[in-house]
Amino acid sequence: MSERPFFVGYLGLPRGLRFMTLALAVSLLIGGGLLATVIARAKDDPGPGTFRFDYGRQTVTGIVALTPTPILHVTKGSEHIEAGRTLMLSGQGKNGALLRARALEGRLANASGILLTRGDLDMMQLVCGEAGLGPADGDAPMAPEPEDLGRWELAGEICDGKCAAGAMRPGTGIAHKACASLCILNGLPPVFISTRPIEGETFLLIAGTPEDPMPPELYDWVAEYVALKGQIVRHGDLLVLDIDTATLERTP
Amino acid sequence: MSTAAAILDLARAWLWIGAAVAALFLSIGIGRIDPDARGAFVFRVLLVPGLLLIWPLVLWRWWRLEKGDRWLPRYRPPSAHASAAAAMSALIMAALVLSYGARQDWPDNIAPRRITEAGS
Repeated sequence: MSERPFFVGYLGLPRGLRFMTLALAVSLLIGGGLLATVIARAKDDPGPGTFRFDYGRQTVTGIVALTPTPILHVTKGSEHIEAGRTLMLSGQGKNGALLRARALEGRLANASGILLTRGDLDMMQLVCGEAGLGPADGDAPMAPEPEDLGRWELAGEICDGKCAAGAMRPGTGIAHKACASLCILNGLPPVFISTRPIEGETFLLIAGTPEDPMPPELYDWVAEYVALKGQIVRHGDLLVLDIDTATLERTP
Repeated sequence: MSTAAAILDLARAWLWIGAAVAALFLSIGIGRIDPDARGAFVFRVLLVPGLLLIWPLVLWRWWRLEKGDRWLPRYRPPSAHASAAAAMSALIMAALVLSYGARQDWPDNIAPRRITEAGS
């Protein structure tokens, strides 16, 4: 029969195994602590984006526009959303608001929901149905005329605007790639985060076509750091970026 | 086709094959390789989700058992626990180091630059 010490939980620790067990326990404790510290310090800052539940439900009136992602030029604000601001619109969860917004394009509408904010990114998560986005009485005033800002060379990240605005933390970065892709596929606003502000704005809404709210070529680049060229147009206080997909490059 | 669409197509094909294997295995195979399953049908539905995912393993085990492989050797205690644990630890560390090595840095050194003015 073997004389090697053998550990059985309910019989206590054999003498020959005590040193090794103690050394292993201390090593695991220190090693685990060090590993946890290194991993935690290597994480990116998730940013200050958040749902503004503290504001409560906000209801505003404005003109619906499509880029084709739905946006709202606010004409009559609320306690926390002043008139003149431009909001990106989203549905609940991973659902966009495009289907509801299509019928209201260019018209005056009431929008109601919870605000998400991160820096200069403002988004409203609409409540369900017409209570979230429905026609408003009165004639629609003129929407702000789009202002062409020219062609730009930029660097940053393509992500979905809702998670980036604080619906998830982190809502950006490679660990969030699958979620961002699903969100954009389901119609949430695709957003480009620039390394530095452009005309005062860091978050740019990505333009698409009525068939593809975001150019399909961009899906492989979601959540990666990229350099690109594109045309920027100002819609209200929101910048919309039309990406030249042939110029996309992965940064080091 | 984008990578995302290709992955979705692959997943769809995998699940369809899994459904075909599930139909075949649960109607014919399970009774042939497991005497206890003969005459029992209700529980078979519970196996469908697992079959959809690991159908290659099911096909392989089915084939082995049809060829006369016995169940008992499968339950012999493995003898490579220590080396497997060490290898897995090394793999986890390697994956961690490689993933951090391959991680991109935020391109803060590239500032936005206007190439052409509006309308040009």
